[in-house]
Amino acid sequence: MSYLLQRLAHSLVLLWAVVTILFLMFRLMPGNPMAAYISEALNDEQQQLIMAQFGLDRPLHEQYLLYVWNLAQGNLGTSFFRREPVWSIILSALPNTLILTMTGLVLAYAFGILAGAWLATKRGTLAEGILVPMALATRAAPEFWLGMILLTVFAFSLGWLPAGGANSAGMFFDSELHRIFSRDFLLHLILPAVTLALYLQGLPLLLMRSTMLEVLHDEFVTMARIKGLSEWRITLHHAARNALLPVVTAFALGLGATLGGNVVVETVFSWPGLGRLLVTAVSQSDYPLAQGAFFVIAVVLIVLNLVVDVLYGLLDPRVSHGRS
Amino acid sequence: MADQQPVLEIRDLSVEYRTARGVVRAVDGISFSVPKGAILGLVGESGCGKTTVARSITGVLHQSARIAGGELLLHGRDLVSGPPKAWLDARWREISFVPQSAMNSLDPVYRIGSQIEEVLVHRGGKTRAEARARASALFEMVGLNPGRLDEYPHQFSGGMRQRVAIALALALNPSLVIADEPVTALDVIVQRQILDVIRDLQQRLSLSMILVTHDISVVAYLCDQVVVMYAGRVVESGSTREVLEQPRHPYTMGLTNAFPDLESAAHELVPIDGSPPDLSQPLVGCRFQPRCPFSLPVCSSDDPRTEVAETGARFACHRHAESDLLRRHSRDIATWQRPQ
Amino acid sequence: MAAGRAGAAPGLTGKLARLLRDPFTVAGLTIYAVLIIVAVFADQLMTHDPGEILFRANGRVASNQPPSAAYLLGTTNLGRDVYSQLIGGSRIALVVGFTAAICVAAFGTLIGLLAGYFGGKLDAILMRLADLALAIPFLPFAIVLAGFSRSSTTNVIVAVVLLLWPNTARVIRAQVLTVKERAYVEAARVTGASDARILFVHVAPNILPLTFLYGSVAIGWAILTEAAVSFVGFGDAKNISWGYMLQDAFVSQALSRGSWHWFVPPGLCIILVVIAGFFIARGAEDVLFPKLRS
Repeated sequence: MSYLLQRLAHSLVLLWAVVTILFLMFRLMPGNPMAAYISEALNDEQQQLIMAQFGLDRPLHEQYLLYVWNLAQGNLGTSFFRREPVWSIILSALPNTLILTMTGLVLAYAFGILAGAWLATKRGTLAEGILVPMALATRAAPEFWLGMILLTVFAFSLGWLPAGGANSAGMFFDSELHRIFSRDFLLHLILPAVTLALYLQGLPLLLMRSTMLEVLHDEFVTMARIKGLSEWRITLHHAARNALLPVVTAFALGLGATLGGNVVVETVFSWPGLGRLLVTAVSQSDYPLAQGAFFVIAVVLIVLNLVVDVLYGLLDPRVSHGRS
Repeated sequence: MADQQPVLEIRDLSVEYRTARGVVRAVDGISFSVPKGAILGLVGESGCGKTTVARSITGVLHQSARIAGGELLLHGRDLVSGPPKAWLDARWREISFVPQSAMNSLDPVYRIGSQIEEVLVHRGGKTRAEARARASALFEMVGLNPGRLDEYPHQFSGGMRQRVAIALALALNPSLVIADEPVTALDVIVQRQILDVIRDLQQRLSLSMILVTHDISVVAYLCDQVVVMYAGRVVESGSTREVLEQPRHPYTMGLTNAFPDLESAAHELVPIDGSPPDLSQPLVGCRFQPRCPFSLPVCSSDDPRTEVAETGARFACHRHAESDLLRRHSRDIATWQRPQ
Repeated sequence: MAAGRAGAAPGLTGKLARLLRDPFTVAGLTIYAVLIIVAVFADQLMTHDPGEILFRANGRVASNQPPSAAYLLGTTNLGRDVYSQLIGGSRIALVVGFTAAICVAAFGTLIGLLAGYFGGKLDAILMRLADLALAIPFLPFAIVLAGFSRSSTTNVIVAVVLLLWPNTARVIRAQVLTVKERAYVEAARVTGASDARILFVHVAPNILPLTFLYGSVAIGWAILTEAAVSFVGFGDAKNISWGYMLQDAFVSQALSRGSWHWFVPPGLCIILVVIAGFFIARGAEDVLFPKLRS
């Protein structure tokens, strides 16, 4: 329990630090952040009025307090460009991003862990000779490029899957849940999720393989053999279970890159998620929206990290049940 | 005891390792047997092949090792030439193993209790509930509090983990328990406690055991029989009393010098100079000859034959007839200190 | 290990020799060598100006040409030569990759040295900063930085350095913690050597191999980041990088047109350069730090 509280406190401190960096990043950015919002036609007085409206005429520390206060209340401001609350724009994009990320992660880690564990038992075989370099290559490839290749093959050349978006044009749904569980949505999800998974699977696969190879030489594995336990039980129950620990750590360390990677994958597949929202907002100089999107991406990252920490505590008793 | 069939009989066992420098015969034609209800000490320097012998009985050897010849007769049936399944079935049910370091041999992510229950359920065919009750009983047997069954290996001390390893080894009432340096990793006081646990359980359950050790004082403390190995071969074997009091092989004489005398005529500890031969090179003659203070020309040209005394003791030395004389010389430090 | 110690070549030289016998390391180094040569002789290797719009004999724009003797990898939809862009892109990759890698390695090493050597409060603060940097979503940060302040290539490098130093710093710190307990460091301290001297004369040389290791991986990350930032449209239009080429191809419907010759080569080039970093790191890790992975 104290382990849980400690991780929670850690996450809150991180959140505050990220919020502060975000504030500084957007306020200290070169150029007047209002430039895009304030039309040339407005006179000085009108400009001042708008500045006041956004609190930009106050000293920096007051702006900071105002900003934190607003955030704490869930007020992310109003989009310059769309003239809508940032919060509602983000809420409509968030489910798409979460679903894409989770599907990609689950596919990647399920495949990577199983394939890695299997490959560890196949040293010096053809399968190893092919799959290990393949895994390295997908890790080295830009994910948006992988997406472009899949898009060209499966959408444009073969025409099996839709080329972009989350739903076909002109589709209407009774509710968000209906939308998400529709066949149409799932068909649209396949390519971006597979792209993400293809890029992500290399890390768990290679790491699982190398830690498995180490664990298979551990004495408790030899002891399991002497006990006469089945190879199946030794590989899965003992070796793989222990080899999983570094994979979970790597998973946590890689989350930042994963969520970031969404940005380009969403762009390739015109997936209406947070990443694409961020890109659009930045290119339109829509500061509140860009800031809000970045903030929510950072929060998702922190929350996922917390989940992984807790998960790790469950998987490794040496962490949660202190050392004596 | 003599008419009774031994639990395990090893006949002419050889084990080879494939290494970068060629094939190494780490165990070269050794034979001995473990009588029912006795503890047999397998003693020798590190690298003499004693651990390889212990592991080959379990049938789980390092990837690069293989049994190159010989027989392992468990209750008279050969495991080596028999069907692999018979050997697999014998593991833990018939032959169990206490490793040197219980820390590394327990899986760090599972509770101790569930690791004991694992063998009871998966190898012993017990139900979960039966296994649970048996695990508690085993914990009490080795002097641990059953209340701690739900703890993890890292929460136990070294001595407690070794007790767990013993409990695990006894789980399925095996015919033979092999303990490989069971106390080496522990500090002296705990060593004694664990040896007492082993001795107590062996007597209570009349276990048949092989105890692998480099420490001849452990042999003296616990074992009924002793087999002395040197460079992959048995140089001497017999009852502990006979071998330790009247060693017939100079290597055993050297070994017994290296610990305080049994008869308490405490004399200085004398180490044997030099190191064992490189087994990857072809060897002629007696393997101990380069280090032997009593060697004759014949020792470097001919292999000594294994002789059997009336008592059943075995020894392989060209000068076995003069053993009384050699033994007297061997008590003198100067014998073992050769001018370099 | 025994062979390395027994051999005549002591320490680093012996390890270097073994490194050069590792096929992965050799492959990685070869890729880097080719990249450098291509970048240096880019002007000679290019057949056209990468930015120039080419025309056919009949006066029309040579758009979407398939690969041919005249256009080795064909042309873009605006009649630019793909092959020449690819060659020119090697320069950007080289500059971005190596500048960022050097900065990451230098910055990470310095922080790791300070944190590990001085410990205490400084260590705590620096390591919390490292946690923080790792908690920031990498690519979005780079995009915001590059997107809002226009001179992108430099900003991509800045973003990479700002967020990638913690990986290096953490490993260096751990290494410093072990090195500083060694006898010769102790001896130097007893003889009254200054902290600066101990740090840079006695400790630093021992962790330099690690610096190179993490630097070689950072090259790949920097190039991937530049490509991604360019791809979402915040690249520097003056610098035709591989990422920029991919963006150009993507927004110009090269995918639906099936212009494989346009968007496959830049991706393969990126893969090659990034994988070279992995290969070197992998080989170096095995040779220099056989126990590092545990």
